[in-house]
Amino acid sequence: MATVSLSKAEVAYIKTSLEATPPLRSDGRGLYDYRTIALETGVAPLANGSAHLKFGQASEQATEGTEVIAAARLEVEDVESGEGVNGGRISCTVSCSPSAYPHSSAAAIEDIQHDYTALLHEVISHPSLRPSNLSILRDLKSWLLNLDILVLSDAGNIYDALFVAAQAALWDTKVPRTRTVEYSAATSKARVALGGSGDMDVDSVEQSGFNVRDVKTAADFELEDYWDEGEPLRGGDAWPVCVTLNLYPPLYYLDATSTEEVATPSRLLVMYSFPADQPPRLQGMRLLGPSEIGLPLIKTLTQTAQTYATDLSCALRAKLKDEDLRRTEKARQRFASVR
Amino acid sequence: MSRPRGPTRLSKPYPGSRIEILNDASLRSEGRRPTELRAPTFEVVPGGADSADGSASASMGLTSVRVEVFGPREGRSRAQTLHDRASVNVEVVWVAFGEAGRRRRGRGDRRVAELTSSLRDTFQPAILTALYPRAQIDIHVHILAHDGALLSTCINATSLALLSAGVPMRDLVAAVTAGVHGSTVLCDLTALEEADMPSATVAVLPRSGKVALVGMETRLHVERFGEMFDVARRAAGVLCAEMRAVARGRAREILDAMDSGPAVLREGENDSGAVMVEE
Repeated sequence: MATVSLSKAEVAYIKTSLEATPPLRSDGRGLYDYRTIALETGVAPLANGSAHLKFGQASEQATEGTEVIAAARLEVEDVESGEGVNGGRISCTVSCSPSAYPHSSAAAIEDIQHDYTALLHEVISHPSLRPSNLSILRDLKSWLLNLDILVLSDAGNIYDALFVAAQAALWDTKVPRTRTVEYSAATSKARVALGGSGDMDVDSVEQSGFNVRDVKTAADFELEDYWDEGEPLRGGDAWPVCVTLNLYPPLYYLDATSTEEVATPSRLLVMYSFPADQPPRLQGMRLLGPSEIGLPLIKTLTQTAQTYATDLSCALRAKLKDEDLRRTEKARQRFASVR
Repeated sequence: MSRPRGPTRLSKPYPGSRIEILNDASLRSEGRRPTELRAPTFEVVPGGADSADGSASASMGLTSVRVEVFGPREGRSRAQTLHDRASVNVEVVWVAFGEAGRRRRGRGDRRVAELTSSLRDTFQPAILTALYPRAQIDIHVHILAHDGALLSTCINATSLALLSAGVPMRDLVAAVTAGVHGSTVLCDLTALEEADMPSATVAVLPRSGKVALVGMETRLHVERFGEMFDVARRAAGVLCAEMRAVARGRAREILDAMDSGPAVLREGENDSGAVMVEE
């Protein structure tokens, strides 16, 4: 979202540079080149999964560029009395720091926040992407995954950054393993379990063979191991990536900076998902900006976006696997060598 | 996971069991001594173009805070400007990832409002606001992780961020949270310890020894308070030394980058007129 104001001369300068042969951009990139992307997972140890993403930050020292932190937290929800859904659900929220938009008022930032939240939530919490291990007890308890994203600074191409950060955080999320615990009815030597504290035995219910009533036993769950982080969230290969095509018909270009976004405000956001062993899926699409785009052009753009989305997705997967390695095996090797 | 297995024996220690604050060997739950601080990590990052004028992050153990400073710059609304000095405006963004319980804390939340006003009251006298009439200094505090000692970490991070932005101050403000367990004073409390004992946050201006802030929300006997206060003040002095070291390191980087480092730091050439690194 651009809060930079440009004069007509600056806008014309950017537009004519894009039309030139070869096309020129202010930082010397080509039309389809991304800025440097830096990604780190596991930055928030108190969360179930987290990621820190920077687009376009030249070195560790600078704070320019688009910077986003995403974290996923799991909460238990009641299916009967609460808002839980059988199979669990995902809820996304995006907060914008006032330092990302230092010239905007609080109300404007709220509006921007709402736009990002609405788009991200609609795409990520779609039932077709729901992971299969978010349920705890059928019809009773399920996990709610809260995906919180904080935008620390915005230098253009925020939507791509949001989706990449969301995927990285979800990839890093671990779901604690649970086990069902049954309460037994009071028998002569039964002990009532109260959510688990201390040692106890829970007897299974003794039932006579002639008893044909469907006795409902109260059930609860417990964590198998409090200190274990859990198993990875399933469905990791289906999370979508977003490609923003900035439109300046007949041209389009990728990864705009904030000044370029102001100069060419029309954008087409395309979200592709690449689940394993299945053809690529278009998860969402949105057209932003004031101008009209003809339908044939949109069709071609959607096709071309798929190639860029494939590249981005492959690079992201490779990086995430490398991050996993860095945090487990390489750390182990370093520790072993130090000792 | 949906079919219950046979009899279940819960034999492992359940997390609800009490964690010892101080064991027989006088060590805390993480193995720290009573007056030992968690390892602080201070980072001062320069602002780039079109972003914050100064940025710093501070973390004490698992508590992590990042602060960005804008200003002094022209005030956004005339109604908030003061004719003879700069107005200091603090905003806290609390998206603490992983904190159990209530999630996003909006701006009207009680904890956020208290944090905001404490920070403003701490830094308003410390910054030399009289130098910038009708200006506004914006301090944006992002709380990334909360594990106890939140106000003190925010104060430390804000001091460094103001230093990074070049805002003139009377002195760095360093803060520490201390508590009393039985008759022992503990420094730098974690979230579990904070929930279990009376605690106070003390912020000092180390050079003059003056106290910028004392905040306590629990009840404590007045005899115990004096001892806790003394320990907290000394601990804040130690933290300030750490912060100064980080600041000096940053200044050295700038000087080296300007390629005038060696010329200025040579002894006996004090009147070169360039920036001096105070030893």
